[in-house]
Amino acid sequence: MEALLEDYISPEDLKNFESNYTESRRNGTLTSQTQFEYAWSLIRSKYRADINRGINLLEELCSSQLGEEKRDYLFYLAIANTKICDYSRALDCVDKFLLAEPNNRQACDLKKIIKDRIKRDGLKGAAIAGGAALVVGGLVGLGMALARK
Amino acid sequence: MADGDKDFLTVLKILIVGESDVGKSSLLLRFTDDTFHNEVPATIGIDFKSAYLDVDGVNVKLAIWDTAGSERFRSLTPSFYRGAHGAILVYDVTKRETFMKLESWFNELEVYSTRENMIKMVVGNKIDKENREVSREEGLKWARKHSTLFIEASARTKEGVKTAFEELVEKILQTPGLWEEVRRKRNINLEEEEPASTGWCGGYCA
Repeated sequence: MEALLEDYISPEDLKNFESNYTESRRNGTLTSQTQFEYAWSLIRSKYRADINRGINLLEELCSSQLGEEKRDYLFYLAIANTKICDYSRALDCVDKFLLAEPNNRQACDLKKIIKDRIKRDGLKGAAIAGGAALVVGGLVGLGMALARK
Repeated sequence: MADGDKDFLTVLKILIVGESDVGKSSLLLRFTDDTFHNEVPATIGIDFKSAYLDVDGVNVKLAIWDTAGSERFRSLTPSFYRGAHGAILVYDVTKRETFMKLESWFNELEVYSTRENMIKMVVGNKIDKENREVSREEGLKWARKHSTLFIEASARTKEGVKTAFEELVEKILQTPGLWEEVRRKRNINLEEEEPASTGWCGGYCA
């Protein structure tokens, strides 16, 4: 599952899906399938701006569709939000998915990764805060020592 | 197989392709986790698992990409074919139409794979079932005609599953120029990969 988060599409492939999308939009023949294909290729991009654009397209699809396709959109929304480190939104999407399919292995694996990352970043944040407290404490101590002189 | 710390000779990218519901994910999970479930939900787009395999005393790491058979992902999955060393083409021996579709999966691999001499293994799955529609001879004949490896298997009973991966990997290793040894270049590879995997995300979150 981790590999899916570190997998990048080739620029040529992304370009192909992009021109499909743009062309069918221009012709008024855009289908949810074409939009999904472009969105999925965008969230496999190396660039954050592309991923954000992919998220917008997937959210559009999510709000307009029901049924089997919706699980694909929710799953890739969770993947995309994990990629840009928006873990609360990622968790929200994966939980929505799991409501419909509680035992889905791919979604369970993804949820575990998101939770691990939240924990990891929480520890990192705590370490930074702890470090800052030490520095502040040191400065106060130094100030007191100087004042006493 | 799960011995991750062991040094490995190379990393091989393996694809699993075929029609919906022929048992691609079940074959993979039987191989990597030695588990089997009766009801496996349709794969969402693509799935990935890594595994270690010892072939004739040589340890190799497998990066296995399990593609969705569903029509919805048909135009998306070929973008994952890039760089694959081997592919497993799966059909269900109890559904003739999945066997008939092998041809199109084979052609798709030919069109989109970036390594010309990629090795292909055809697997006729679900041989534990009684209502067989495709005989072993037919499968074998197809494989001979297309110069691929062939085995019949059952993800449910384990039969043939490990052998399918072993024979594929063995054949890849025997093919000169298809793979590169990574053991000696490991440090260089790690350095090269690092910017891509941490990227801006590390910058935003750290």
